[in-house]
Amino acid sequence: MRTVDTRYARNGDVRIAYQVIGQGSLDLVFVPGFVSNLEILWEDPGFAHLVKRLSAFSRLILFDKRGTGLSDRFNPYGSPSLAAQVDDLLAVLNAAGSGRTALLGEADGVAVSLLFSTTHPQRTRALALYGGYAHFYGSVMQGQFLAEFLQKIDTDWGRGMTLQRFSASRADDQRFSAWWGRLERLSASPSSAMALARMSASIDIRDRLSKVQVPTMVVHRMGDVHVNPDGGRFLAANIPGATFTGLPGNDHPIWMGDIDRMADTVEEFLTGERRVPSGGRVLVALLIVRVLGARQLPDGINDQQRREQLANFRDLATNLLVLHGGHVLNWDLERITIRFDGAARAAQCALALRDLAETSSLRLAQGVHAGEIEASGDLASGFAIHVAERVAAAAQSGSVLVSSVVAELAKGSGLRFVESCTVDIDGFDAPVRLLSVAAEQHLEPVRHHKAEPSLAALTVREREVLHLVADGMSNAAIASRLDLSEHTVKRHVANMLLKLDLPTRTAAAAFSARHAKA
Amino acid sequence: MSVQTMESIGASLKTAIEGRDGRKLAGLYASDAVLRVMDRNNPPSKPREIKGRAAIATFWDDICSRTMTHKVDTSIAEGERLAFTQDCTYPDGTKVFCIAVVDLKDGLIARQTVIQAWDE
Repeated sequence: MRTVDTRYARNGDVRIAYQVIGQGSLDLVFVPGFVSNLEILWEDPGFAHLVKRLSAFSRLILFDKRGTGLSDRFNPYGSPSLAAQVDDLLAVLNAAGSGRTALLGEADGVAVSLLFSTTHPQRTRALALYGGYAHFYGSVMQGQFLAEFLQKIDTDWGRGMTLQRFSASRADDQRFSAWWGRLERLSASPSSAMALARMSASIDIRDRLSKVQVPTMVVHRMGDVHVNPDGGRFLAANIPGATFTGLPGNDHPIWMGDIDRMADTVEEFLTGERRVPSGGRVLVALLIVRVLGARQLPDGINDQQRREQLANFRDLATNLLVLHGGHVLNWDLERITIRFDGAARAAQCALALRDLAETSSLRLAQGVHAGEIEASGDLASGFAIHVAERVAAAAQSGSVLVSSVVAELAKGSGLRFVESCTVDIDGFDAPVRLLSVAAEQHLEPVRHHKAEPSLAALTVREREVLHLVADGMSNAAIASRLDLSEHTVKRHVANMLLKLDLPTRTAAAAFSARHAKA
Repeated sequence: MSVQTMESIGASLKTAIEGRDGRKLAGLYASDAVLRVMDRNNPPSKPREIKGRAAIATFWDDICSRTMTHKVDTSIAEGERLAFTQDCTYPDGTKVFCIAVVDLKDGLIARQTVIQAWDE
């Protein structure tokens, strides 16, 4: 993440935080919706990607409106007016030296953008209005729902409560939901959030639409869960010369869902051309492993042992991944993202990981999807990763789910796929079929009766380590005995277990005892 | 449109850029001119290309609408080519520095390549 300077524009006594990204010839300001925080939003890969796309052709100006994020607070018991927000926007544009600016308004920011363009037509180059509306009660919610919404802010603000309201597709994603809670807390206080919600509810600019004199595009995600697309259609129908573009998807924030399609649409409207697709995209199979139950400790296991167990799993799993040709893109405590060259390999690796986990108290839920990602070095991003995450989210403990495209690609691999369920994934017009993976498709399961692995497979050092493990010594004790680092010992233990195909240290001790007798 | 000499086109570029005169700037380009911009967001393998006088006029109009100061300096001319630097400052102090190489044809700019870097 690159740090961008934050500056402050002054409107009277109120200071408004803004950032400028890129030096494209055209000035573009993003007028945010409900609440925002310029420091936190950058943490989201979707937001950062949208900024990257927009700033490739423009000088992009971002700001937090008054009462939110890094900008000055207002008195939450007085009402912030739309007119004050228009003045704040003008102050930001003056500070940034922007004489004629294209405005990209989002949701509540659409009304501010529109009023800016009618108040300062000579300063407005064009209007791109996303997810907006002219009349709150007609398009967003009815009076009684507003009362419930305000009540909910009062009791639950700061715990991610608005995520459900703004995004259906990611509301179940616990990690994202926790981050969203942080975004809420750092974007506005509960009183400010309520005051802003009340201000949004007072929006009715229906009589101003005909006064717009600049080129205008209205764009709306047709499944928008927060603002009905009819709100956008109404804007387009009543703003002179405006066009309407409907895009698939149901996420309300502009920086969620299919961001590239959104950026393409805005870029084409503002510059008249569509960006040629970049060359960094590669087709890969993606495996997402969710490590379950990492917080619920079985009786008799303490945190220290739990950490060791996870570390041991990581060592063993890394070996398995390498054997299957996997490349780790991201490894969190509870979520691993791995890319493979082939779909069947990814699914086979998932089965192997599941078997490995079953020898411990860990349980995995895994999902595989194949698609293009944007890859540079170890960083990867793209819609396919989002889809793989959704597939993994649908998987139960112990199961491996694949998207239908993976099942088709893996035909002939010997893997067997059984229809499991369908999920709605943002950006797909139809629900996506998911299948679960079974290992082999023989009537009589083929068993590879491997001879018990012999000690000959081990290096001298690994044999030494095995004997010490059999004596019940801890890694630390072995490290000190052999004058090695603990990390090296851990690696030897992991390799030794893998080569002998044994699940635990105890099994290794038993193995050692059997061989000692022989 | 009058055909300009190398010296006069250098002087015209300087006056027009420093005076933020987009219309005058557009008049210095051939109708099929190409302007290429390379910067952090538009790397050399995928530069931003602005083709034709009309699009270049919009480009300069947008830039000239900014309340910033431009200082054009260090012009170097050789044959049909001209290079110059452009030192720009926004009212909030943010600076942009550009270096441009211009190819002339029949007294008009046929091709221009701009490399720019900025504070952020």
